[in-house]
Amino acid sequence: MKLRVWARDLALGARFAVSGGRPGLLRTLLTATGVGFGVALLLLAASLPHMLFQREVRESVRAVDASREVTGPRPDTFRYFDRATTYRDNVVSALLLQPDGDAPPLPPGATAFPRPGEMLLSPALRDLLDSPEGALLRERLPYEVAGTLGKDGLIGPAELRYVAHVDFLDTGNPDGRGERFGWSVPEEPMNAFLILLVVVACVVLLLPVLVFVATAVRFGGEQRDRRLAALRLVGADAPMTRRIAAGESLAGALLGLLVGAGLFAVARQFAGSFTIWDVNAFPSDVVPLPALAALALVTVPVASVVVTLVALRGVAIEPLGVVRASAPRRRRLWWRLLLLAAGAALLVPLMGRVSVTETSIDTVPVVTGTVLFLIGLTTLLPWLVEAGVKRLHTGPVAWQLAVRRLQLSSGTAARAVSGIVVAATGAIALQMLFQAMEKDFTLPTGGDSSRAQIAFGVHGKTFDEARAINARFARTEGVAEAMSVVEAHAWRPGPLEKGRDSAPATPLRVGDCASLREFAALPACRDGDVFVVLAHGAQGGPDDERITAVARAGATVALRDPHPPEDGPEGRPADAPPPLWKLPAGTKTVDSRPDPTGMYQYGVLATPSAVDTGLLGESYAQSVIRLDPAVPDAADRARNTAAAIDPTAWVKDLKDTEVDAAFSSVRTGILVGSTLTMLLVAASLLVTTLEQLRDRKRLLSSLVAFGTRRSTLSWSVLWQTAVPIALGLALAVAGGLGLGVVLLKAGGQQVQDWWVFLPVVGIGAALIALVTLLSLPALWRLMRADGLRTE
Amino acid sequence: MTSAPLLRATGLDKAYGPTPALAGADFSLRAGEVVAVMGPSGSGKSTLLHCLAGIVRPDAGTIAYDGRDLTALSDRERSSLRRTDFGFVFQFGQLVPELTCAENVALPLRLNGEKRRAAEARAVAWLARLEVDGVAAKRPGEISGGQGQRVAVARALVTAPRVIFADEPTGALDSLNGERVMSLLTEASRDTGAAVVLVTHEARVAAYSDREIVVRDGRVRDAEWAA
Repeated sequence: MKLRVWARDLALGARFAVSGGRPGLLRTLLTATGVGFGVALLLLAASLPHMLFQREVRESVRAVDASREVTGPRPDTFRYFDRATTYRDNVVSALLLQPDGDAPPLPPGATAFPRPGEMLLSPALRDLLDSPEGALLRERLPYEVAGTLGKDGLIGPAELRYVAHVDFLDTGNPDGRGERFGWSVPEEPMNAFLILLVVVACVVLLLPVLVFVATAVRFGGEQRDRRLAALRLVGADAPMTRRIAAGESLAGALLGLLVGAGLFAVARQFAGSFTIWDVNAFPSDVVPLPALAALALVTVPVASVVVTLVALRGVAIEPLGVVRASAPRRRRLWWRLLLLAAGAALLVPLMGRVSVTETSIDTVPVVTGTVLFLIGLTTLLPWLVEAGVKRLHTGPVAWQLAVRRLQLSSGTAARAVSGIVVAATGAIALQMLFQAMEKDFTLPTGGDSSRAQIAFGVHGKTFDEARAINARFARTEGVAEAMSVVEAHAWRPGPLEKGRDSAPATPLRVGDCASLREFAALPACRDGDVFVVLAHGAQGGPDDERITAVARAGATVALRDPHPPEDGPEGRPADAPPPLWKLPAGTKTVDSRPDPTGMYQYGVLATPSAVDTGLLGESYAQSVIRLDPAVPDAADRARNTAAAIDPTAWVKDLKDTEVDAAFSSVRTGILVGSTLTMLLVAASLLVTTLEQLRDRKRLLSSLVAFGTRRSTLSWSVLWQTAVPIALGLALAVAGGLGLGVVLLKAGGQQVQDWWVFLPVVGIGAALIALVTLLSLPALWRLMRADGLRTE
Repeated sequence: MTSAPLLRATGLDKAYGPTPALAGADFSLRAGEVVAVMGPSGSGKSTLLHCLAGIVRPDAGTIAYDGRDLTALSDRERSSLRRTDFGFVFQFGQLVPELTCAENVALPLRLNGEKRRAAEARAVAWLARLEVDGVAAKRPGEISGGQGQRVAVARALVTAPRVIFADEPTGALDSLNGERVMSLLTEASRDTGAAVVLVTHEARVAAYSDREIVVRDGRVRDAEWAA
């Protein structure tokens, strides 16, 4: 029976929502739009796990199966080289294929195998190459375009990728031979710290969305209350009017679900058009997890009913009008603090219990504790705003209007900024976690990008070829200096020691003095000099004795392996004696220094005149390149030269530090989420402000009638936004620092920077300005005299 | 001998979209005169008042106030004029709900740059004159409709305007309260020498005026003005 009454009243309210004339319909549409945005975001969030999983799946599907070695060529095997190149901060991934026979498997995304010298392009790369912006990259890819790579071969529609059929891969290429595509590369498990970060981020990013939804179902509440008074006049009792009101909100919320589903459907179609922090997905991959979607779809309508019923507790709807408790009930502090304390009680015991070496955490207390803490802060805000504005004194007219408005009805303002409090609190706590964790996850490479910016290496080159490489780099526009050496080996000649199957050897690098100085601290150097470099076992390198056992002043070394393996690459008959070289008596022993890539090299450094470079065995040409920062695209020009020298050459951009990949992807995810949340908070504030202005249309018009300046009312709107936001941010700073400290202590970390909240406060200030600015056109429109018309 | 009109409008046209509100309306008002503008709903009474007060710019026609062409003034100049020379009383929605009654009455003075204490002191004096000094510290939501309209009248008079525009000032009041508000408004305006443009559709209210005109189909039909 009771259920039937509820259903009847809710249905009646729902009918009022859509048939209550233009204002009622407008209110319902406003609610539906607000709820719709929230629902769309929730559905997008619910799609993230599947989206990210699909990216991994796509990456696995196209990877060459390297789980077992393919020993010999067959008609269905191929040699391959999987490498990425960089173009203006964009990664261009490449797969070079060289079939061994006439039946190679088709690479994923291809409808036909490209012919020799041809390549298949991703649509994004094709667009880039067709545009003037891609001209420099075009030089790097000397293949004919044969077609487009389909989505099966891409991880996202914006991915830059090509698959080329080449003829220069030899057996020495580092990737080797494959026979099929599709290999699930085992993922490293996330460590507990990152899980903590992800869990907290999910909570702080999604809570503002729920707060926003709760705010949206109350849009236009004042107008609705007047309508309800009329219902009381014709006999509806107080509980009935509340249920009817809830029905109205429910209709808006249900309509919002439809709007949200529609927005989500539209947004997922555009998923491929946007790349936010390198995340970009095919629409078909943006699918919400059914359980999460169902949770969102159930939570929203239920929340709309609950929020409305709770909101109407302080309002007496009487037959002759609505009486907002003229002396509003004093907000109680205790239960708000209780929520905060409960959250803290769940989080504090975690202190010191999350270790970087673990791979799981107990998520329940983290999630529950964080949710309770943030909800506690949100509920504390109305109390704080009420207590705060009560103490404010009147000043100029604009200030007076704003303060008095806040004093009369601080709840609306507090609700409007509650999303900011949650978002800012979470952002501060996350920033604190980030700062503390960054040092653990940012690994120094040891490289020195001030000495060189690009490193290059290629196998199978003679010294003369290395010289030619150096000259080619030196001629490249934007290269300030290129330092190249050729790396071979020096062996100890003579018979093998008992029990050994190879002769002791040490690297031998030949280059000019300037290039050699990149590897060791040379006291003086001129052509003809030779140095023995000792690294003293740095970076796990050999002991000095192993070097000096081969190379020392006056020692004779073999320039080719005196005991090559039978299937080795040495182009010398096994019985021919290796060429020998005697290190000069004046050979100095020097200490190694980190080269620009951060490595301590060791062995022999020789200038060109000191050794007959024609006698060296198979060599590896190495270059480090210093770029001229004044030349645009200098790095890409150098990369083009590297690709022209050898497309399989090793090219590395030198960086001083490297961020752990998992940490980097978590940070990316949080940045994407924060941006969306902040936009939502701004939208929420704007809609609330506009809605309040619309409710005060007649009043604004009458104020204008007796000459109130636009600027006065504009300032009033600014203060009305700024005061609660300032109080909210103060609360968020305190709460965020507190939450951050607790979470840091959970991982046994220290606070790195107490001023971490300043950027968040800055964003809050920007939001105030943005919302005020965007609401001004509406304010000015409402200030027209039309508002005075009654007919 | 008749004095020159303080406010004079000639050939006013105003349309809201395709709907004409005024179509060649003429009007004049002498200093200290109380003129009732009557007419059926939708006849253009309020639009005429809004045009005369410089709230709405007419599509055509001229409005001369004290020798100045209102239609040629900028929005800023018209706003300034409304602050200094005009006062307003509307049917509803005119008091700022979050301000106290005294603060509401003091608002026009403060907009003119007067100090808060002085402005509120003058406001309280006007509230006393209109017999509602007891509500000075109350907010509009805490007082009756009749008291609210008296507060609105006090606010209209506090700047000592030369013209008061009253649009259905008693429309939301019972007859007793309506009578009282009208007698206070007209007495006070006569005391201060302010002219009153009174839009009403009630003959009982119009009876407080010195002269009545009727607006029908956007035209002033029964103008009794001296050219």
